[in-house]
Amino acid sequence: MLFLSPALLWFLAAASVPIVIHLINRRRHKTIQWAAMQFLLRASRESRGKKKLRNLLILTCRALGIAALALAAARPIVSGLMGWGGGSIDTVVLLLDRSASMEVKPGDGLESRREIVVKKVRDAMADLGSPRLVLIDSASGKPQEIPSPDLLAELSSSAATDSAADFPTLLTRAAEFLTESSGRSEVWLASDMQESNWRPDDERWAAARASLNSLPQRPAIRVLSMTGGTAANSSIHLLGSRRSGDELLLDVEILRAGDSRLSQSTPLTTQLNGTRTTDSITLSGQSLRFQKRVALPAGSASGHGWLSIPADGNPRDNAAFFAYGPSRPAKSLIVAPAGEAADYLALAAAPPGLGNLNTQRVEPGAAADAINPELACVLWAAPFPNGSQAQALQRFLNSGGQVVFFPPGNPDATTFMDLKWSPPADAPAGKFFILTEWNHDDGPMRDGIDGTPVAGSKLKAIRRQVPQGDATPLAKWEDGEPFITRRIADHGTAWFIGSLPDYTWSNLGDADVLLPAIQRIISTGADRFDASYIVSVGSEPSRLLAGETRARLDDYGTPDPANAEFESGVYRLGERLLAVNRPPQEDTLEILTRETLDGVLDGTRYTLLDQAGQADDPTLSRDVWRAFLVAVLFFLLSEALLCLPKKTHVDALPAKSPA
Amino acid sequence: MKYDFLDNDLLSRLGSLPIEARVPMMGNVAGKHRSPHRGSSVEFAEYRKYVPGDDTRRLDWKAFARSDRFYIKEFEADTNLRAYFVVDASGSMNFAGKGESKIQYARRIAASLAYLLVNQGDAAGLSICTDKLHLEVPPSRRAAHLERFFSTLGKLEPSGETGLIQALHTISEKIGQRAFVVILSDFFTDLAPLGEALQHLRYRKHDISVFHLMDPLEIGFEFDRPHRFVDLEDGTSIVAEPNLIADEYKTALRDFLAGVRAKCHDASADYQLVTTDTPLEPLLRDFLTARLPKSKH
Repeated sequence: MLFLSPALLWFLAAASVPIVIHLINRRRHKTIQWAAMQFLLRASRESRGKKKLRNLLILTCRALGIAALALAAARPIVSGLMGWGGGSIDTVVLLLDRSASMEVKPGDGLESRREIVVKKVRDAMADLGSPRLVLIDSASGKPQEIPSPDLLAELSSSAATDSAADFPTLLTRAAEFLTESSGRSEVWLASDMQESNWRPDDERWAAARASLNSLPQRPAIRVLSMTGGTAANSSIHLLGSRRSGDELLLDVEILRAGDSRLSQSTPLTTQLNGTRTTDSITLSGQSLRFQKRVALPAGSASGHGWLSIPADGNPRDNAAFFAYGPSRPAKSLIVAPAGEAADYLALAAAPPGLGNLNTQRVEPGAAADAINPELACVLWAAPFPNGSQAQALQRFLNSGGQVVFFPPGNPDATTFMDLKWSPPADAPAGKFFILTEWNHDDGPMRDGIDGTPVAGSKLKAIRRQVPQGDATPLAKWEDGEPFITRRIADHGTAWFIGSLPDYTWSNLGDADVLLPAIQRIISTGADRFDASYIVSVGSEPSRLLAGETRARLDDYGTPDPANAEFESGVYRLGERLLAVNRPPQEDTLEILTRETLDGVLDGTRYTLLDQAGQADDPTLSRDVWRAFLVAVLFFLLSEALLCLPKKTHVDALPAKSPA
Repeated sequence: MKYDFLDNDLLSRLGSLPIEARVPMMGNVAGKHRSPHRGSSVEFAEYRKYVPGDDTRRLDWKAFARSDRFYIKEFEADTNLRAYFVVDASGSMNFAGKGESKIQYARRIAASLAYLLVNQGDAAGLSICTDKLHLEVPPSRRAAHLERFFSTLGKLEPSGETGLIQALHTISEKIGQRAFVVILSDFFTDLAPLGEALQHLRYRKHDISVFHLMDPLEIGFEFDRPHRFVDLEDGTSIVAEPNLIADEYKTALRDFLAGVRAKCHDASADYQLVTTDTPLEPLLRDFLTARLPKSKH
């Protein structure tokens, strides 16, 4: 709290006047010879508690009333940033969330949340007498001393970016900075409280809190929460990108915030190598996932482009960038003895006429030589490998390859990655093993990008082998035994499917389950060849290597060269072609709850300022003298009420007896 | 008169009012008050049957002629009255708010009533009590005796704590015959022993009158600033804000006054709560009038 007329605070001393008068009055007593002493002593004993309290309250009301009047006269202003406990501050460390989600506007025609909070901080700093301001922005994570709060809004280090924020790191940096700083300091965290930026489950929070608490002078923590309503907004981002011959398959997701009950038609602009086309898509519901097929020019070795939707509440989430390299076939290897199962697997891995796929079958004994890093996927329908075969397969998995294991058909005690197959089991006579439960959001049996489910219920098996061991089940038989399980191995994934596409086992070969599952796994395996073209802002591949320079290739928007490292777009980094997109988590809507915030800032005695996000409250400080005048009125009224004489008058003369 | 507590005009105005006893008195000389003994006065009392041994001269022959039975005709015996004035001389009686002190007021009452009593042929005695002193002036009906009575009253200087309870017990034991006992005190003492002392007087069949003397300031307790209150009896002191404790004080005082009244009522005493700002003449006139037999009203 600051005062516009601090000289008038001297009148606070007048609050002692009632107390002084009271004390003087007590000393100015007269002496009187008294006869009825016994009643006086009794009365004095009985009135000691309640009457003294009442007298004390009256005195307190008088003193507080005068004090409140003096405070009102001094024209106090209270800063929302400082609260009531504020005072002189030497250093303010501002942790500014510059993530893409901070560019959302609280309403049409208003500034973004980042711009609002920057201005509020600037004004609050002026109210506080311009203490030292140190900015640690979420994009660079480096402390930077700001010479004047007025410059804060003009700096490139406070400008918009397409990056994400990492608050555990920011708070740790603030603690590190404050170890070399002296005097009273405060840490202000300006954020839209997006849960992905705060990372509440991150183990580094404990270390950050410990660092803050170990400082010689613990700083006050103030969270400027930029939450609340926003203008209508939609965001677009790429779920995946894969070249298939002369086509680029882009898996796209559009999310809508706010009122998503009505269908809405919106133009989708596609720019490919400088050529723009526009389609119309209809949005219904909160999200729309679809696959965009972009025809590539014949013989095109590499290229880039972007997809965009019209400008709306957040200008930073309306574009998704892509880049592609030369076409390469998605190769798969089938390790299985010749037979019906191997044939079905070959059909599922490379169906005739479906894109640029090819597959090869080898006998189990020859697998070690056939496995190579160019493969997208290995389909293994044989006993688990051992020896050099197992080592080759493990290396393939670790490098990002996908391996699908099918039952060997016979009891086999061999283990791989600590998993093994159960002995073959037949369904009871006249019955089938039925698939009743599978993961619709994850795994090879997930629903299609348009929401179409895989026809898993059509699968019927008369024979099965159950994968046993520590793996994540993604589909289960009717009796709860797993049908598909998954085990992550470094960059790759091992899948275990509990029946064979053979008529003596199941109808898995009917393509309802096998084809989409195998194609998805192959696609995932092949993505690692195309994924190198699409990265996120701030990720390791998006950074310059030694000797590289950064050059932006796309023509979307108005790039800021000073923030090129933190902006999405298509870049050439040395010889590398990269489409850099904002991190997908920036489009999520999950907000940190108060309870979670209490958890991550536990023990820091932080202050949460919810009103920081209100656009209609442009300042963080308010003139509060009226509140003090109300307090004066309150204290005077209370004093008057306490001084009111009692309604019942006590008469010392006893009532005359009727007799 | 040389005593300032005697008012000639007042005494002459009250002279026409007799002081009557409410119970029959036993005196050693003839007087104007009823006696419990039957005598040969002119005022008929009752008939009673003759029993052997009675004086045959007192037989009512006319009644014998009418009823053929022997009856003795009895008459009221009149005797004189002996009054004892018991004056509390404790320090608290010295208290004077804005007017005269309680002891001054007690002097005026005792002296006036004693004068009227002696003037109508009755005897008046004085008993002055403190915790250390018990002064007595024996009752006498001689006019010269009044000088001693007034002199003792005039020299009275209250101090110390009250000795009223002991004085009342002493008087109860000491006075052999029924008497008129007038007590003048503020009764700042414990109520239970006071009740026992009054009952003792009642047991001896004395006619008790109580003048409970209080100062108006003691009852009103109206002060405008803190005071140091110093006890008149033992000198202890307390600083208090009267406005804060007035209610509790008045409640305690009211309970005390009601207690004294109840004790007097139990002892069939004639109780009067008197503040020292009360004019004496109407007080005494009402007191004397109330004591008159119904037929003389």
